[in-house]
Amino acid sequence: MKPITFRLNGDQVTFVGDAQTPLIDVIREQLELTAAKVGCGIGRCGTCLVLVDGLPTNACMLGLYRLHGRSVITPEGLSDVREGRAVRAALVAEVSFQCGYCAPGFTIAATALLLKTPTPDEEEIREALAGNLCRCSGYLAIVRAVQKASSLLEPAPDGDQRLEFHNCGPKQQTNATESARKSHP
Amino acid sequence: MTIDGRNHIELLKATRIEVAETLEEAWQILASDPTVVTVAGNTAAQLDWQKTGWPETVLDLSRLGGKARGVARRPDGSLWIGALTTLTEIRDDPVVGSLFPALAATVSRIGSPAVRASGTIGGNICRMSGCAVPTLLALDAILTIWDDSGFAEQPLLQWLASRSTECHRAILVGLALPPPPTHVAAEKIGLRQGFAPSVVGIAAALRSGSDRQIGAARLCVGAGVKPARLTSTENWLTGRRFDDVAWHELRDRLVGEIVAEDDEHRSGRYKRLAAANALLCALGIKADQPRSRHRYAIPSFRAPVFPQNLVSRSASPSWPVRPDIECKVSGSLQYLTDYRRDDMLVGRVLRAGVPHAKILDLDVSKAERLPGVRAVVTARDVPGLNAYGVLVQDQPALCFDRVRYEGDPVAAVAAVDAATAARALALIEIEYELLPVVDDVRSAMLPDSPQVHEGGNVLDDDRYVRGDVESAWASCAHIVEDTYTTPRQMHAFMETEGGFARPTADGGLEIFVGAQANTRDRMQLARILALPEEKIRVVSSPTGGAFGGKDELTIQPPLALLALKAGLPVRLHLNREESTIAGWKRTPLTIRIRSGCDHEGRLLAQEVDLLCETGAYSSWSIAVSHAAMAQGCGPYNVPNVSLRGRTVYTNNGIAGAFRGFGVNQTVFAVEAQIDRLAEKVGLDRIAMRRLNLRKPGDPGVFGHTMSGSERLEDVLEHAAASDIWHKSRGPDPAGRVLTGVGVALVCQPVGLGSRVPDDGGGRLSLLADGRIEAAFSFDEFGQGVTALIQASVADALGCARADVAPVVGDTDAAPDSGATIASRSTTIVGQVARQLAPRMRAKILEQAGLMLNRAPTGLRIGHGGIYDSADSSVLSFAKLAAWLSPDRLPSETGTVSFPKNDSRHRNTLFMHSYAAAIARISVDRMTGIVRVLEIDQHSAAGPVMDPPGYLGQFEGGNVQAMGFTLLEDTLIKAGTFLSRNLDNYLIPTCPDAPAQMRTYAVQALDPEDRHGPRGIGELSIGAVAAAINSGVAEATGTWFTNLPLEPETILDSLEATAVS
Repeated sequence: MKPITFRLNGDQVTFVGDAQTPLIDVIREQLELTAAKVGCGIGRCGTCLVLVDGLPTNACMLGLYRLHGRSVITPEGLSDVREGRAVRAALVAEVSFQCGYCAPGFTIAATALLLKTPTPDEEEIREALAGNLCRCSGYLAIVRAVQKASSLLEPAPDGDQRLEFHNCGPKQQTNATESARKSHP
Repeated sequence: MTIDGRNHIELLKATRIEVAETLEEAWQILASDPTVVTVAGNTAAQLDWQKTGWPETVLDLSRLGGKARGVARRPDGSLWIGALTTLTEIRDDPVVGSLFPALAATVSRIGSPAVRASGTIGGNICRMSGCAVPTLLALDAILTIWDDSGFAEQPLLQWLASRSTECHRAILVGLALPPPPTHVAAEKIGLRQGFAPSVVGIAAALRSGSDRQIGAARLCVGAGVKPARLTSTENWLTGRRFDDVAWHELRDRLVGEIVAEDDEHRSGRYKRLAAANALLCALGIKADQPRSRHRYAIPSFRAPVFPQNLVSRSASPSWPVRPDIECKVSGSLQYLTDYRRDDMLVGRVLRAGVPHAKILDLDVSKAERLPGVRAVVTARDVPGLNAYGVLVQDQPALCFDRVRYEGDPVAAVAAVDAATAARALALIEIEYELLPVVDDVRSAMLPDSPQVHEGGNVLDDDRYVRGDVESAWASCAHIVEDTYTTPRQMHAFMETEGGFARPTADGGLEIFVGAQANTRDRMQLARILALPEEKIRVVSSPTGGAFGGKDELTIQPPLALLALKAGLPVRLHLNREESTIAGWKRTPLTIRIRSGCDHEGRLLAQEVDLLCETGAYSSWSIAVSHAAMAQGCGPYNVPNVSLRGRTVYTNNGIAGAFRGFGVNQTVFAVEAQIDRLAEKVGLDRIAMRRLNLRKPGDPGVFGHTMSGSERLEDVLEHAAASDIWHKSRGPDPAGRVLTGVGVALVCQPVGLGSRVPDDGGGRLSLLADGRIEAAFSFDEFGQGVTALIQASVADALGCARADVAPVVGDTDAAPDSGATIASRSTTIVGQVARQLAPRMRAKILEQAGLMLNRAPTGLRIGHGGIYDSADSSVLSFAKLAAWLSPDRLPSETGTVSFPKNDSRHRNTLFMHSYAAAIARISVDRMTGIVRVLEIDQHSAAGPVMDPPGYLGQFEGGNVQAMGFTLLEDTLIKAGTFLSRNLDNYLIPTCPDAPAQMRTYAVQALDPEDRHGPRGIGELSIGAVAAAINSGVAEATGTWFTNLPLEPETILDSLEATAVS
């Protein structure tokens, strides 16, 4: 059982256990990071979304073997991400949610969008949110908030923190995972 | 930090996972072990594995680099795409975008952003059914494959053919696309707009030829049908002139050549028709323009008496944020399914698994002996009444003699972890004698039908007659008769049923499960557990969505039994599949209506015969049936009325409460009848309604009294004046899309009615920290009762919203407010606040006077505290509270009765709210798919207490109603659920939502109206389906009667009208 090492909300963590264990079980059941939810368990509702190297990923379908050497941000970790803070502020101001169970997943999807496209148009926003189901809002309040989120972005600090994700992005992955293990039996 | 997953998370079967970083490594692993299964993004394969179990060994290719990943232009002008390139990378690649925009577009419609971020083009191809396949076929993609003999190239078409016949161990390295054809177009016909499962995908390409003459053609299908090139049609087409190709001839050839199977959602026939139509569009061959059959009337309007205002952030004077929004957005709010404790056991319920059977034997001994199992409960463990039900107690807490639907609970276990609980479930042995399944509401009523319950399948048969319908038909100039059906819509709250329970030291129980009626739940639990109610505390908020789907016991009975038997806290959270099977649905209605009017359009007679399929248990369906009957004439005066409602048992799941509660279903049918009569009379839809609308003060359909502040005429005239009528309607210039506008009215009852106890209490208390606690036992499941409490108390008392601390959802912490249903809490909260405020104010000011050593006269309550007559703040609530000893902190408790009429002969509703919905929709002539472009709602429910909440209810209601109209139905065949999760029960996504939704409110109440604001949770959904259907009828010229609207039916009707 080779350990799997990755960053979780900025901290280095090492997991020992079955490599196919879905991330959602680890964060919810062991670490009590319960912002990400299990709404369907098959990657169809987006309540479990996390960022992996800045990209939206369904944690219910994310076997830990895929995470070795990568960086995971859960909805809790968005307070340390400039785009995440702007997204949250906009969603609060717009009162975008009702029951709120889907809200953390939407904060991840919208943050992933802003990381890539700082001033998205409405169509880009709608498509970026297509993997997240909300049964209460009818979605438009969420779209309105994401439209306003760009304007709430704090000025980028020196050494833009987005690099944190882009350096680990899939294309450059080889360097970041040089020590990655070939087998997690 | 190290996480030890070995003891905490036990998978039922461990898989060895190999990771390869080079092709050579990958091939070595693959060649050495015949059981190895390769995966890349693993966004699709593991969905299969959830059913079959993971393979023994999985080879993860997602870290392959080099040639296998990325997009590159090659010297020969072709484009190389590595198989491990993710769909997102392809979509965003500038070269793909400029050379192969059709591929970029195809890829951008695959899955969700998360699927595209992990999913690879190679994985999409290897699944054969992948959405990219038709486009890649049209682009003549050539695959590069690595196997024993090294690299080999093979055209995609050939590879697909060989793959379906032989099992060849090889690794797909990538694909090459030759220089782009002169013309390529692709289309995915999906089940919805966003994150859509594919029905069928098509792509067409032309490799040579001119504008007028067709060169080498590629016509391809896949993604929902077996991927194929339609070579026979391609050959027929090649060399022809575009102008000479007859649309119908080519279409018939395509339909004849496409091979497609039926699936649970769409027929093979539909796939062939829609794919052929889409291929014609992709080739740019246009169908004949439809003849315009409509006048597209712009209705006249009269000036409404009461003005409306737009509810929006920019139009609202204030935009208060609800008290729970920040913790919901940050994710710090703990729902009742989020609680974890070391000593907490995990519970699971064993479901029947068969729709109808006698239980011959039930043996749990093996499960009980499994290490780690702490409790197993069956019907034998139910100490009290093993039955519950809001109206009829016909539903067992745990089944003992029979199971009546697939989700019926038979036993439950509590174990130290989820894996042990799952193993224990598998060890429970049940012997069934299968009984014949009652799966159709009509045959259930036949005398020789098998019985779901003793006493027959017709649970309730209610009739109401006024006037003489039979003789009225003779005087009708126009009669319309039809039968309408509505779907088994699932609530699809995002938080499935769940929570935890713990035994208390006194032998009682505390249970924390998201719900809608904690005091009623406590009463029913007390009966089941044979405990006094005082020993049970029910906490039922916060809840992640309800919509009526938690308005009855869900998992509480087995959870409570487990916690009491184990003597430990137990948590239990249904997964989505179990929730889908176990939970009740919107009661499906079959509504036969006959409506007649005179030459001028005055309604003379209405006959309604409706069947409510309640499924295995009664739940709320009898009341749904009666609520549906009450809508039998809509908000119109009809002199001769005959109404009948029957509630019928079957083995098709359970049906019960769902936002709208029989009203939206019936409004869909009644409003269609009104429109159809209007057509016959020659009136526009507004004029027809205006002519027949009930007038304020008129008796209701049962002759009962209704409250004042009726605003039907106002909302109708505001709708008549809408700018939507002036927007484009009819066929678009390209001839593919038909646009129509529909309108519908609803008069939505609020409250429980004249014969049902409908009181509600609340309490205001000054807390030691200076906040004013407002305690109601209502539940917060998203609808915003906490914001409403803040708004209502602040309004009544004069303090700020932030001064008010709402306490909800706990039988121990608040007076009994009654259930959070029937749009009743707005009225109760408002009236309790207004009742208690003067007493509370007097007490606070009296204490303030004592503290300040001055007379309370001249003091008033304001934001944050007490002010003097000069409007200066003299004392904050916090300072006053700190000065008071705890026993002198003011507190006031009160109860109000929901406003009612005095009808005793039957349950009738007194208070109502009103809305007119207008929907502009489009119909795709090639696919029959309807899209809702915009919805406006003109509503009237008294003052808007919380603008964001009001808007949210309407926008959410619109989209939920849109799902009801266009997408949603829980599919059940012979009592077995086909719909089992959110991959095949489809609710609207963000791209499905209308481009625009506007909500207007007429806020004025009559001067003498003391009832205050009305709830709008159900108003928002009431008229939408009817309005959409009316728009579809305008666009297509056909009335559809079955929801959800079937694209195939629409396509057929367009075909029929085009031919005729």
